[in-house]
Amino acid sequence: MALLAQIVVNGVLLGGLYGLMGLGMGLVWGVLNIVNLAHGALIMLGGYAVYYLYTGAGVDPFAALPLAMLAMFALGYALQRWLLGLVIRSAQLNTLLVTFGLDVLLSYLAQLAFSADLRTINPPYAGSNFALGPVTVPLAPLAAFGVALLLAAGLQAFLVRSRTGRAIRATAQNLTAARLHGVNPKRVYALTFGLGAALAGAAGGLYGVVSQLTPYVGVTLTARSFVVAILGGLDNPLGVIAGGVVLGVAEAATALYLDPTYVNVISFGMLVVVLVLRPSRIFERA
Amino acid sequence: MSALLEIAGLGAGYGEAPVLFDVGLEVRAGEIVTLVGSNGAGKTTLLRAISRTVDSTGTLRFDGRPLGGLTPEQVFDLGLVQVPEGRQLFDRMSVEDNLRMGAYRRRDAAGVREAFDRVYRLFPVLRERRAQLAGSMSGGEQQMCAIARALMAAPRLLLVDEMSLGLAPVVVDQLLEVLAEIRRQGITVLLVEQDVFAAFSVADRGYVMETGRIVREGAVADLRSDPEVRKAYLGVH
Repeated sequence: MALLAQIVVNGVLLGGLYGLMGLGMGLVWGVLNIVNLAHGALIMLGGYAVYYLYTGAGVDPFAALPLAMLAMFALGYALQRWLLGLVIRSAQLNTLLVTFGLDVLLSYLAQLAFSADLRTINPPYAGSNFALGPVTVPLAPLAAFGVALLLAAGLQAFLVRSRTGRAIRATAQNLTAARLHGVNPKRVYALTFGLGAALAGAAGGLYGVVSQLTPYVGVTLTARSFVVAILGGLDNPLGVIAGGVVLGVAEAATALYLDPTYVNVISFGMLVVVLVLRPSRIFERA
Repeated sequence: MSALLEIAGLGAGYGEAPVLFDVGLEVRAGEIVTLVGSNGAGKTTLLRAISRTVDSTGTLRFDGRPLGGLTPEQVFDLGLVQVPEGRQLFDRMSVEDNLRMGAYRRRDAAGVREAFDRVYRLFPVLRERRAQLAGSMSGGEQQMCAIARALMAAPRLLLVDEMSLGLAPVVVDQLLEVLAEIRRQGITVLLVEQDVFAAFSVADRGYVMETGRIVREGAVADLRSDPEVRKAYLGVH
């Protein structure tokens, strides 16, 4: 019983982070109708940004998150404006291909720049934890979970309350009408992709604290983001976090009851299940 | 009186396929002008040329200013605002958010508040439903919301595309009343319609379009008694 509780705690905390990964992917998908296969690579870049800010400049990883987000926002904005914007009106296969190519490019550039070594962001409090009844709550993952929730709530408030957020929702719902009311879709798309990349950057920094970074970590993280975005729906940021929690708990249970090597089987298995059971979720927005 | 909207010798089309030929049309300040014609006559293409979402040749001026090189956003900023065919609401946004999107490019908070008051006086039902999702309302209410959204942008010329489409006659009458009231408030209206009866009941002047050309124009009273128009559009012989 205590073991099960521990699994749930670990799974929920990791799942919040998966939720944050799905958030950026779902935002871009819902508004631009791009399934961004490079999303995991953007997460990976954000992770390295925080890693080097910590090891190079001594910035605390959590304090480094806003900086990494800002840099990733700029990268995402530029990618959409000057690369993906060129193919956004063509068939969805083309944006898939371009983001796939981007994923390969970013992964190998990262290998050149950062080497293929495993990296972990290791602040002094990385191993700290406290007891809560029968379970142990690790501090860093708890903080990561809190940041994920905060960012999801912030995104929700931004989309609902701000003028730019309204324009983003309007463009997603009806491009023609948005243009007729003076919305510039190129700007909205670039902003949205920038936001998605910034969220990926934050997720990457947190992932580097609770897990390990390699230049190739992006592929499995893209798959997880995809599953989570579909589980949570593309409309509701807090629902996406809940989707992440489902995946996190499933993975934690697998690692314990089967074997840690089966974790990817679960996430990719869920990908297949989701594709079979909820194809409408994917194509109705297309 | 000089024309607010001035179109002469206008041609437009999509790629290799021309749709409009030598179109001439004028809307003077304070008028309600209607452009009628059957499906496929080119009415919507003309509106697209005006709002610069389709390229055109010939003269196209608003308030003396050529619209040729402008982007859709710039045309919108001049006060040319469209109520699109099929309403095109933001279905999963509240009525109030739809109206806010109408005022998207306005930076004068006080003016926007005043605009809210004005459209809610014009359409009291929208005030009642302001928190409701726009897509969940009836067709007539959605059309009201679309007109109200356009009014939020403080238009000088309101371009209304197929307002009556799919609506009950009693609702159409109500909306025509509103157009008359809008004009009384100083906004000029160009009404594009297939329902010629409805359009003629509120307009001062009309243009009849067939296969991309203007074939008749004049005061509505004259068009009504024109035998060709009566036969083709009013169903009387």
